[in-house]
Amino acid sequence: MTDAVTMTNERNQLFRDLFSGKTPKRVPVSNPATQDFAIQYAGLDLAECQWDLTKLEPVYDKFCQDFFTDTYPGGSIRIPSHYQLLGSTPIVMSSSGFMQHPEVVGLLAEEYDEFIASPYDCIVEKVLPRLFTELNGAPGKVAMSLAKAMRAQSDDLAYLGTIRAKMNAKYGYAGMIGALTEAPFDFMADFLRSFKGISGDVRRYPDKVAAACDAVLPLMIKKGTLPNPSMLGYTFIPLHMAPYLRDKDFATLYWPTFKKLVETMASMGQNVQLFVEQDWMRYLDYLYELPENTIMRFEYGDAKLVKEKLGKKHIISGFYPITLLQTGTKQQCIDKAKELLDILAPGGKYWFQADKSVINFEAKGPVAENMSAVLEYVHENGTY
Amino acid sequence: MDSKYYLTWEEYLAEHPELEDKPTQAIAPKIQKYEDAMFVFIMDLLL
Repeated sequence: MTDAVTMTNERNQLFRDLFSGKTPKRVPVSNPATQDFAIQYAGLDLAECQWDLTKLEPVYDKFCQDFFTDTYPGGSIRIPSHYQLLGSTPIVMSSSGFMQHPEVVGLLAEEYDEFIASPYDCIVEKVLPRLFTELNGAPGKVAMSLAKAMRAQSDDLAYLGTIRAKMNAKYGYAGMIGALTEAPFDFMADFLRSFKGISGDVRRYPDKVAAACDAVLPLMIKKGTLPNPSMLGYTFIPLHMAPYLRDKDFATLYWPTFKKLVETMASMGQNVQLFVEQDWMRYLDYLYELPENTIMRFEYGDAKLVKEKLGKKHIISGFYPITLLQTGTKQQCIDKAKELLDILAPGGKYWFQADKSVINFEAKGPVAENMSAVLEYVHENGTY
Repeated sequence: MDSKYYLTWEEYLAEHPELEDKPTQAIAPKIQKYEDAMFVFIMDLLL
């Protein structure tokens, strides 16, 4: 057995233990930096590399060599080719090469009833043509654009998959697989009604918002379902709007369908990883109600309070502030990692991840050196 | 899911009776795979 295979087996066991509620041999570690960071770290042009994926293998090789992690770092679902072919307005590449999400409205308020009656039909007939210029026109042109875009995305994902397989074989990462979905309320907000639009809707048409969340729930469940649920697979659900809602709106509009989504995933034997964005401290009692061993990666909040209230039932992650990698000394960065290990690691159920992703790299800045020091520290000092 | 843009195999077969005497055990997973792939592609555009 090669060293890499041995490492993969050991790392798989770390996550099997973690996800099943056992205390693993040590705290599992994930590198918070993304493919964007890796490209810049390799000294290459961000936009060019996302269009020409053949440049990415050495990028990932250097990235994997220089930063400790138990899970494959990077990856991307925001590959520019298919967005360009569709004339995308909700996801566009900035002049600096980052893929960005401007505020868009894909569904008009007066279209709620149509959406509630048949959400997928409404998405295809109303939302997509409004958000993607190449899907708005003569049927033949739309069909051609859709075919080109789907083929482009399929080719790009397949190419990134081969790089991932090579890096896993060389560096022995855990064999994780994932699916992506959203809480129904967040889905209604992000690309359909917009932050501003949904914020008005909860006051003007709360019944329609609730009905739309109910209607779209089966789509969110289907989207988040892995073909073959396994102990090393999870459904990733980034959470967006709850911190911006009043408590009563959260209770009636956000929570019911979100809870059903997580419970349905768990009942199918799937792990669920929530990215608990912004500050959810006023909702901790709700989060406690979710199925045992739900993975919760927190952005902001009180790590001690979270460990106390949720740490015996759920798997806690996040909290490490990536801004410190930019502003702190190496020792301050390590001290922060130690502080979080001391709070969150006792008793297990802890996965070291940062509060958000690191996407930007400055050649003369301290982030790479500090991040490397933190990842090594947690690897070496996270043993149970 | 009730939609004219997503069909289960049973719904597809009902619309394509010419397949009934064909090896449906081989055809069904292939048709369903691309039905699901299109669903995932469409939904990924809005996530």
